[in-house]
Amino acid sequence: MKPQKIRGVLSLLVLFLATSVWAQQLVTGTVTGDDGEPLIGVSVRIEGTGTGTVTDVDGTYSLTTQEGNTLIYSYTGYGTVSREVGTQTIIDVELVAGAQLDEVVVTALGISRERKALGYAVEEIESEQIERTQQNNLVNSLQGQVAGVQVTSAGGGPGQGARIIIRGINSLDPSANNEPLFVIDGIPVSNETLTAGGGAERNVSNRIADINPQDVESMTVLKGGPATALYGLRAANGAIIITTKRGQAGKLSVDFSTTYGTEEVNKFPETQRVYTQGYEGVYDPDSFWPSWGPTVEEARQYAEENGLPRPNDLFNNYENAFQQGNQWRHTLSVSGGDEKATFRTSISRLEHEGVLPFSDYENTSFRINANYVASEKFNFGGGVNYIRSGGNRVNADRFSTRLTYWAPQYDVNDYINEDGSMIGYQAGRTAGNNPIYGEATNKFIDDVDRYIGNLNFSYAPFPSLTFNYTIGLDQYSDFRQNYGRGSVYPGAPNFEDNLSNGNGFVVETRMRSRDVTSNINGIFTSTVLPDINMRFLAGFDVFDSSYDRVTTTGYDLDIYDLFSLNNAADIQTESNLRNRRLLGLYGDLSFDYRNAVYLTVTGRNDWSSTLPAANRSFFYPSVSLGLIMDELIELPSAISFFKIRTSYAGIGKDTDPYRTSIVYANPTGFPIEGVTGWSRGSQKGANDLKPERTNTFEIGTNLRFLQNRLSLDFTYYDAKSVDQIIPVPTSLTTGFSSFVLNAGSMRNRGVELMLKGSPVATENFLWDVTLNYTRNRNEVLEIYEGIEDIFIGDHFGYAGASATIRLIEGQPYGNIYGRSYARYGANDDDLFIDYSQPMLIGADGFPVIETTQKILGNTQPDWFGAIINNFTYKGLTFSFQIDTRQGVQKYNQQGNFFSAFGIAPYTLNREETIVFEGVTADGEPNTQAVYLGQGTGPDGRAYGAGYYRNTYRGSTENFVEDADWIRLRNVSISYQLPATLLENLFIDNVSLRVTGNNLWLDTPYSGFDPEGNRGNGNTDTGFGGFTYPGVRTVFFTLNVGF
Amino acid sequence: MNSLLSTFLTVFALLLFSGCGADYLDINENPNVATRPPLDGLLANASLGTANNHQSISNGHSSYFVQYLASPNQGSSTDIYDEVTNGGAWNGIYGDMTDLYDLIRFGEEDGLLRHVAIAKILMAVNLGLIVDNWGSAPYSNAFTGEELRPTYDTAEELYASIFTLLEEAIALMPAAADTPEIGAGSDFVYNGNLDLWTKAAYSLRARYLNHLSETGAYDPTAVLSAAENGFDSYEEDAAVTRFAIRNPWAQVAISNAGLVLGGWLSEQFIDAVNGTTYATVDPRLPLLTNENEDGEYVGTPNGEGRAGTGTATSESYLVTEGYFSSENAPLDIITYAELKFIEAEAALAASDQNRANTAFREGVTASMLEIGVDSSAAVAYLNEAYDTDAVTLDDLFREKYVALFLSPETWVDARRYDYAYEDFELPTGAALNSFPLRVIYPDTETNRNAENVPDVTMLTPLFWDTE
Repeated sequence: MKPQKIRGVLSLLVLFLATSVWAQQLVTGTVTGDDGEPLIGVSVRIEGTGTGTVTDVDGTYSLTTQEGNTLIYSYTGYGTVSREVGTQTIIDVELVAGAQLDEVVVTALGISRERKALGYAVEEIESEQIERTQQNNLVNSLQGQVAGVQVTSAGGGPGQGARIIIRGINSLDPSANNEPLFVIDGIPVSNETLTAGGGAERNVSNRIADINPQDVESMTVLKGGPATALYGLRAANGAIIITTKRGQAGKLSVDFSTTYGTEEVNKFPETQRVYTQGYEGVYDPDSFWPSWGPTVEEARQYAEENGLPRPNDLFNNYENAFQQGNQWRHTLSVSGGDEKATFRTSISRLEHEGVLPFSDYENTSFRINANYVASEKFNFGGGVNYIRSGGNRVNADRFSTRLTYWAPQYDVNDYINEDGSMIGYQAGRTAGNNPIYGEATNKFIDDVDRYIGNLNFSYAPFPSLTFNYTIGLDQYSDFRQNYGRGSVYPGAPNFEDNLSNGNGFVVETRMRSRDVTSNINGIFTSTVLPDINMRFLAGFDVFDSSYDRVTTTGYDLDIYDLFSLNNAADIQTESNLRNRRLLGLYGDLSFDYRNAVYLTVTGRNDWSSTLPAANRSFFYPSVSLGLIMDELIELPSAISFFKIRTSYAGIGKDTDPYRTSIVYANPTGFPIEGVTGWSRGSQKGANDLKPERTNTFEIGTNLRFLQNRLSLDFTYYDAKSVDQIIPVPTSLTTGFSSFVLNAGSMRNRGVELMLKGSPVATENFLWDVTLNYTRNRNEVLEIYEGIEDIFIGDHFGYAGASATIRLIEGQPYGNIYGRSYARYGANDDDLFIDYSQPMLIGADGFPVIETTQKILGNTQPDWFGAIINNFTYKGLTFSFQIDTRQGVQKYNQQGNFFSAFGIAPYTLNREETIVFEGVTADGEPNTQAVYLGQGTGPDGRAYGAGYYRNTYRGSTENFVEDADWIRLRNVSISYQLPATLLENLFIDNVSLRVTGNNLWLDTPYSGFDPEGNRGNGNTDTGFGGFTYPGVRTVFFTLNVGF
Repeated sequence: MNSLLSTFLTVFALLLFSGCGADYLDINENPNVATRPPLDGLLANASLGTANNHQSISNGHSSYFVQYLASPNQGSSTDIYDEVTNGGAWNGIYGDMTDLYDLIRFGEEDGLLRHVAIAKILMAVNLGLIVDNWGSAPYSNAFTGEELRPTYDTAEELYASIFTLLEEAIALMPAAADTPEIGAGSDFVYNGNLDLWTKAAYSLRARYLNHLSETGAYDPTAVLSAAENGFDSYEEDAAVTRFAIRNPWAQVAISNAGLVLGGWLSEQFIDAVNGTTYATVDPRLPLLTNENEDGEYVGTPNGEGRAGTGTATSESYLVTEGYFSSENAPLDIITYAELKFIEAEAALAASDQNRANTAFREGVTASMLEIGVDSSAAVAYLNEAYDTDAVTLDDLFREKYVALFLSPETWVDARRYDYAYEDFELPTGAALNSFPLRVIYPDTETNRNAENVPDVTMLTPLFWDTE
């Protein structure tokens, strides 16, 4: 074995140094079905590269390739065939339809299985589909591509985090991770969005954003339940299995790609441009109030009479404040190998500057994968990925809030004086926070160094028995520096956040996260009876996760712009350690009968360090069945394939570390002069927690018609999570702010539909269309006795208009509660508003605010879906994707502020006197005319702060908006230069692509793009307004292969 | 093949049970925290926290309600009584009461009676802040972690608890003297001096008995007898002078200087001391705030916001040169001066005019001396402002208002006195038609303990506020 190993390493080295010696050649051929008919639109790819073509109407193709390359032929409903390129120039292929389908997909633990053998839905997207989206964050590339998968983001910021939820939210716990497990080349990796050091408001990345999408060969989506039962509790919310690109034997190929993208905000809120700075209609250039003054014309007259400077025209600072964003990404990859050893290495660099001033992000990634086949029995391989990522993460919430306060008579871009102090909007421009100055002087920069490595060994002593061992490491450090500049001179105009605890500040956060995974298993196959094949798999895995962090805060800088902790007068430090370990023993027994009936039973026992010792071990089973009906019964000839699948799984789940006891911690501010303080921890742990359990039932079918020209895939699922471990938020008078309890159950039921077809296939023109549809229904079944509701989160609104998300029994997750207009005849106990009831008008003539919060909307969409179209004409490919999300609401905090500050266009009626439609307390129609403005009305009555501040902004109902949308997610045109043009050149292939993302959006929502949430947590979905705005981007990409 | 399979399974079993011992998973004890805290540390946090809670009540609402301070912004909700909850103060107080609950519990278990006695006094003070600002509140089944939704004790019941806590603390003192000392520096108020704590307990008893002035339960004799066992000089004030960074009022002053506006003095307060409302100029004024650019003391009318630019010094603010807002200024819990005013008020009620006169003059003098007015100026002020020797309730509330500048206690006085201060008016654009009588419960209560939260408004009077 030893000499072989050395030889393997040597060959890799040789390959690294070698230059290309293989000649290029043009390969042509015809692809036919097993009935002899030519197949149109068959994908022909060169393995390990992004390049390929499709067959034309005669089933023929031509492709420039090299000796030693492998060509992969795939066609919906026909499976996949691969052929190695030798010296021949014509390669004809026959693909076998329907029953003999041998399409292989990656399943749990990275095990490849025939798709038809599976009793559950699996979807896969490949490198072309990923690259088409031009998303820098791999999670975003799944948007709209897979039924059951919902991707949301906190906006269009560089490196901004994204959130992915499969088949609905499974946990009542507001702090639970509801996202799937990510696995890269067999190693579970972190996709955490760590918000320590102030990252929550700073759109930090989810860690999968580190991965270069161009390194990814395919992503398989396992939607939880039976599909992930073998992975155990960490994949209870599903799993995304990422396989990276590998080298191919026989050829050294070099690929270079470069992309330039330019972006702008895709949707702005509308603002009124009539009324200027002041209050009660009186102009005041020193006023805090940006828009409660008179009209600009009136203000000018007033200024002239009072010797004030002439008021300006009003700027549209919502558009002014944002800029054009730019990004560049370059990737160079080299791959190759011989029959024994293969490798691929890539280096990539992304630089991205966002639309919000000073937001940027950089990512440098280096990856190498290598595999070595030592003998027929033994092979091994591994991969290492080093990533450095980070940038200045702006505080979009602060930025937009300050933009709302900013008086529109001044250009917000005029933000800094020559001496470095702030230009404000009040008091001769010496006060009033300038949001751009804020971003220029108050920064949050993260700097991640990450290593992901995996090694795998496979040993097959007999053809029927294989042992696999994988060990992996995912380790990263993240250094975050957050600082605010002190005042240039004492009392100099400055951004208020810079002065929160003295003159300027520095916060340094150093984090380290290390996950080690070890997994061993064996697979044994046998033919039990002539028609029955058996396969048995058993394995054991270990997961060891550790995390540590130190945050040091320094307040009151001596030198105002020296951002070193050494320069701070007051220093406070806080540290945190966290460890979690899991062990899992698992087994999987599968039978197939005549390639028509497939039965799999699995079992897994997990041991988790996070549960009390008595309850830390738990077992759970799964069973799944696949029936290939066309093998079993006679079907009409129009049906080319018909499968029914069904499965059941019960997955156990542990909890976060350190939730089993009551503890005491050192409060912020201590030590003080050598004295340490102690205080009871705010979360009450419980030493009798038991594991949660999610029971999933799934049934589905795959039907294909007209020789697989049309395919329909349908799934129904029902997942019930019981005994959920939740920190139930409590009144602080309990002595805690939350109690950890096994406190409830919740159900998700839904359907997933995927339709694929090829409507047009003419000589030169092919059209493929894919449609997916997802509908999920959630219900909170049970909450711990004595607890009426679980508080998930809230978002501030002026005058009591804060929106709250709470869970109550019998209602779905994500109901948005808030104040509303009182209705005549309504009860305090009504959960919902009866909109047919007339509005109740108070004795003062204004609508009455109902202060008991009612349900005003829900953050979970009724349904979502996408249509993806793909057109091919010779070397030209055109595709577009339309996504939609329907029946979803969102609290628009910006809307609340726009009404409070007289910015919304509807506040233009502020000088009108109207009669509100509705009834008074005695049930009679209201007839009282009231003035909508501030101060004294034309009727001589004092109206104080006016209708919008006194009434309108206090009704959350006005700001919980429909956030449905339809968008043109992606349009892409690519052109591959004809091979004939490149003959006799050292260049192998050249393609050009232009992509547009988010070019068109249709939504009733009044703020920025409603896709953006306040953040990435469970408590953020449904809250929007002051988010990083969504962007529309156009990309230009050049790919060159050598 | 079967033998292969069994070998294979044996290997797994071995790996599981030998390679990973049972203790491999015993790592769930949180390495960042303690399960049993040092009691000195609990006391350190709770004693400092108690003083800070006074500032959160004051800066969060009470100083605006009594018009010590005014918002620089027009129509600010605190200034105009718009649904004020001050949840931050509520949460801070309950956090400290939780630690005091544990301190009493663990101290009794460990026989650390000094800690127990001090904790009971601090508990009484915090409970006083809760009941005097919000009214009824959870106490008798709070803090335990057993009750998910603690029920509310009535305000009367809470007052009974305050008196019980103070009595128990006083009764415990002799026994406490024989128990281990408190760690140096861990008692932020008196550094472990039980004599001073005993005086503070009596002074507090006098305060809470005196709060009942409008009720039938009022017993001026009991107030006077408690006061006799209270403080004997302003050097005995219950106050904190060490902070995490600086006195929180100094933070307000520094932020304001950095244009994060706050700590603006109200026109009401300035007028009361600058010769406008009353003829005599109070010598304390220059020691509390700044003159504006024109060399005048200018307050801001509540509800109206700033008249000037907000950046030029057009008004008077809390400044770090001010006595109560300097970096290490004492943050008071209860003072000798307050006790003297309490004594004077009870003496008046007990028809002991002479004692009232003496206590009144001593209260004013102590307040002045403490903040740095020299004694001749104090005497001159008293002689000029009060020519007769028969102090009235109005005199008393007028002077107590100035002497207790920034204290949350003044809002209790204001309500007992029915806001009858000279020239005291509703703020411009008030959201209520009359002065507020309490703040409303914070969102954490209405959201998480809805079934127990009493239905009240800012105009629902507390039990001691009967007229």
